[in-house]
Formats: sequence, structure tokens, C-alpha cells
Amino acid sequence: MTGALPADLHVAPRAHIRRDTSTQRPHIPWAESIAQGLAHLAALADEAEARARLDARLVALRGALLASPYHLRQLQEAGLHPGDLQRLEDLGHFPLLDRSTLARHWDAVPTLPAESDECVVVKSSGSTGDPVRVVRDRRDCLHMWAVLRFLVSRAGAVLPPRPRVVLLDALPGGLEYSVRLPIFHDGALHRVSVLRGDARERLCRVRPAVLFSDPEGLRWLAEQREVPTPRLVLTSAQHLPVGLRAALREKVPAPVLNYYATTETGPLAWECARGEGRFHVFAPDVWLEPGLDEVVVTRLRPSVLPLLRYRPGDAGTVRRDACACGFHGWTLEGFGGRGACHFLTPSGRTVDAWTLAWVFKHHALRAFRLTQVERSRFELEVAGAEEANVGPLCERLTAALRNLGWTEPRLEVRHVEPAALATRAKPQPFRTLLSKG
Amino acid sequence: MRFDIPLIRKQLASVPVTSPYPHDLAVAIICDTFRMANVRPPSRQDWAALEDHANSPLWREQVGMLAHVLASSSLRETTAQVLVKSANATDILQRFFANIAPLTAEMVRSNAFRQEEFLRKWAHVVGGEVKDESPSQSTQRLNQLDYRKAQQEMVRAEEIRRKEAEQREKMLAEAARREAEARGWRE
Repeated sequence: MTGALPADLHVAPRAHIRRDTSTQRPHIPWAESIAQGLAHLAALADEAEARARLDARLVALRGALLASPYHLRQLQEAGLHPGDLQRLEDLGHFPLLDRSTLARHWDAVPTLPAESDECVVVKSSGSTGDPVRVVRDRRDCLHMWAVLRFLVSRAGAVLPPRPRVVLLDALPGGLEYSVRLPIFHDGALHRVSVLRGDARERLCRVRPAVLFSDPEGLRWLAEQREVPTPRLVLTSAQHLPVGLRAALREKVPAPVLNYYATTETGPLAWECARGEGRFHVFAPDVWLEPGLDEVVVTRLRPSVLPLLRYRPGDAGTVRRDACACGFHGWTLEGFGGRGACHFLTPSGRTVDAWTLAWVFKHHALRAFRLTQVERSRFELEVAGAEEANVGPLCERLTAALRNLGWTEPRLEVRHVEPAALATRAKPQPFRTLLSKG
Repeated sequence: MRFDIPLIRKQLASVPVTSPYPHDLAVAIICDTFRMANVRPPSRQDWAALEDHANSPLWREQVGMLAHVLASSSLRETTAQVLVKSANATDILQRFFANIAPLTAEMVRSNAFRQEEFLRKWAHVVGGEVKDESPSQSTQRLNQLDYRKAQQEMVRAEEIRRKEAEQREKMLAEAARREAEARGWRE
């Protein structure tokens, strides 16, 4: 793995971490109700009753559509009105919302934010080179912690009092921090960068009850000697190789839960422990339309950002399911999110190319593709980027590659038309020309 | 006999989407429907008065669409059966066109909700009931679908959104300032 990083990495912009964590406390009953709602739906065998519960949530969505300038305009143009949305079946008659459209109208889709909503604008990952700015209210920001309560109980994990959560980070920024986490059983959150020299020591000191990471972080974990075993490990739905799963099981004998989330929507589904590739939907918080060959999301949980038939750009088909794991509900199958791509360092180590995606969201460009041509040679194709932005982007990308193990990366930039990088499905901005052997 | 809305919609789905009838023929089809129920249809003068009263550029296409759905589905037969002999055809049509005033032919063709609204409003003005529904359920559904009322509500909402624009901009600018770079894990 890479050695210790310098104090100033020149990669990550400064992070603003909320320290006023006591303000999470008023939201604890809400987090409990979210977890209960998810547990209740996941145990409800009667589809008609489940649908009726979801239909009831459309009342709030109708109000939010009326309060959203973008949705209001769209409905008027289509001869529709929010009152037409009475049942889940009605959704099929409503217009779809593409990722690029949300990116263009990011400020017109939300309802009017109130001071008390404590909204923030976050950027989705730079997988398209044109990140979406997403308005989130406080509960959107806290929602994953509420979902985690449900997942912990689903996995049968028993947490100690005041559980510590580690976000094991393999991103080239090397960001680290520790904060209290009242919303999650009065626990604490520690972000640990695997790029730091003392990452293992820090992890041993923290002894996390729950560990979040991506495949790259889990790969690092599996390579360590004697690391603490959390009660639950979570990773987001990137490509998780079978070999890595097995290696991890050997080193860290904790349940590994893979979940599917996007910045725009929040968590959408989790992968069933009994069947790889089957993702159970987080109803009633979200609704994923059954019977299609792509993911179409309607958010049923109140939020400042009403999402109606949103297309994150992922493939998959949803159907009603009674799973052997005991889950009743809707399951996403044939899920095709981010295509896996691994770059090879000069030392022969593989690195998940997606850890670099994050670098791109800080630069204005329409689209990009980064190709590993040789061990230390990369080609960066950019579309719609101003010359003034390309220099800083290359600087940051080169620094990120150095942090990940390329001592002397060579980066060649080529300006292309956006059409040259267009794909029908979700963009695949990373590729390698190196043979696997 | 009651109006079977899902059946009528199914029948309409299998016919050409546009009304093939010129205006005079459309008027004749509607008049025939009243005749089938032994109700005196509107006279030529009555039709002229209806057009004047509607005072809408959409009126002729609405007449065409009404004739089209009557001729292409069981709507005509059911209408003839539920109309009472003492019914006033001109009055019925006047109320119908007032109720569907903002609906374009395109909406009725391509929008499931507006088509259902169009059919239900016809069933309502001719005094019919909807199959498998109590009258109160039908009234509730009509209220849900009512585009005229919804349009007023949307215009009001748009006005409010316009007034909020400045505040929205301010709040979003503030939210953007709070932007963190920690992949959403700022809590």
C-alpha cells in the first residue's frame, strides 16, 4: 500500500464538517420511525396492504409537487396535475426526470427551503464529469443513519452501547475526522483514510462496531494483519469481486452488507445476503417502479427535493418478491450500476479506478474519460472543459494518482466533442487498455 | 345501465387517436345520440348559441372529440340508455363544455387522466352512474381529476412560487455555502 501522506495533499478541497452534532437529537424519534417503517414493510406479506401504505404517502408528494417550480411547470405542460397521482400505478403516466435534467434544474426542483430545514447543496460524484448539485435538508443528510438502524437489526448485529462507526476511506484526498453521532445510539463517527500511515493503528484504537467502506477500502482491510472485527460491514454497490468477499470473510468474519444509493436519492436498496445481485428496495422511503429495465425512483419520504420518476441511469428490473431471507417487498435484479474498472500501479497492485471519480466533481466539464494506456501513462479525454480548468484538474488528478501509488504518472489530455463520450447507459468514464494478464 | 369507464377506455385505445369527423358530421353524431334516447337534439341555432357561450378556440375540437368517443365506444349506447326523455340536450351540452373547458383534444387523446375526466364528466352531465362505484365514490374521483379546478390551484401555486423566487435564491445560495466535500458524510 502507499506510505504516509504529506500533510498537505493538494488533492482534497477543504471539508466542512458539522460539529454541532447535538442538533441531531431532536431527529432521533424520526430516525426510529424510519427504521420501524422499513422493518414493517419488509415483513408485510400482503402486497395490497403494502401498496395501500405506499399510496398513502403520495399525499405529501402531491403537496411537494405543487411547491416545486420545476415539477409544477412540467405537470402543466403535460396536462397533468398533482391530484392525478392517487396510486402508485398512476406514476407511469407522469414524466420522467433524467439525471441531466436534474443537473440543469437543480435549483427549481426543490420546494422552498425553510431556515429550519438547514439545507445544504452537495455534488454527486463526478462520474459524468457534470456532477449534479443536490439540495438536501437536514433529514436527507441524516437519513442513512436511520436506515443503518434498520440494517443493523436486519443483519442481526448486536451493537455495544455508544457504538463507534468507521468510514474507511480509500479516496485520494486522505480526509480524516472524528465527530459525535447522537443520532446513531449516541455513538461516534471516525473517518479513517487508508492512505495515512497510521490507518491500521487508528482503526485498532477505535474498534468500530460498524464499518463503512468501498471495495478499495475493504481490499486494504483484507490485507492487514489483526484488525478488529466490526459487528457489521457496509459497502456501497460498486463492483465487489467474489475473491475480495472471500478474503474479507477470512480476515473480518462480520456480515458484509452491500447497499445501493445515489447522492440524489439516498439509499435505494440493499443486497440480499442470500443471493448476490438481488437488491431489496427500501420501501416505504422510496418506490422503484416494477417491470422496467432501468431504475426509476420516486421518493416517498418527505424531502425538500421531491423526486418524481427519477432515472439515476442504472439498469435493473424490479419485481414483487418473497425472499428466502424473510423479506417481503420489491427486489431489484439484474442491477447494472457502475462498471468495474481497475487500474494497475507500477508495483502491480490493482486500484479501483472509481476512487478517482471524486476528483472530477470539482471541475466544470461536460464529460470525461480516463484511460490507462500503460502502467504509468494515462489519457484524459475531456469535453466542454475550459482551458483554464484543465491545468488545475490535471494537477489534482496527478496528485491523486501519486497518492494511490503511481510515483511518476504521465497524463495526456485530449479535448473531444461530448458526443464522442456519450453512451446509451450510465457513463463509463474509466477504462484500461492494459491486458489483465 | 352504468358507464363502464375502463371498458370504454379500452375500446378507445383500439381506434385511431384523432377524430376523423369534420365539425358538421361531429355535430350530427352527437345529435343522433340524443335522438337514440328520444331526446330532442339541439337545433342549428342552439349549436350556434353553444359555440358563442363557450367562446373558446378549443370548443370545435372538443365537439369533434366528443363525437369520436361516442362513435368509437359503448359510450353512445350507454348514454342513449341513461338519458331521460325530458332531458334538455342543449343544457346538457352547455354544462359539459363548461366542465371540460380547458381540455384539449390532444389531452383527451394522449393523457389517461384527462381522457378519464372527459368520459366521467359526460357520464355525470347525462345523469349516469359509473359501474362498480357508489355515487359518492364517483363524485370523489371527479373531484380528484377536475383539471379546471386543478389549473386554478396551479396558477395560484405558480403565483406563490414567483413571489418566493427571491427568497428561494437566497436560501439556496446559503445552502450552497454550507456545501461540504465529504461525500455526503458531513454529519
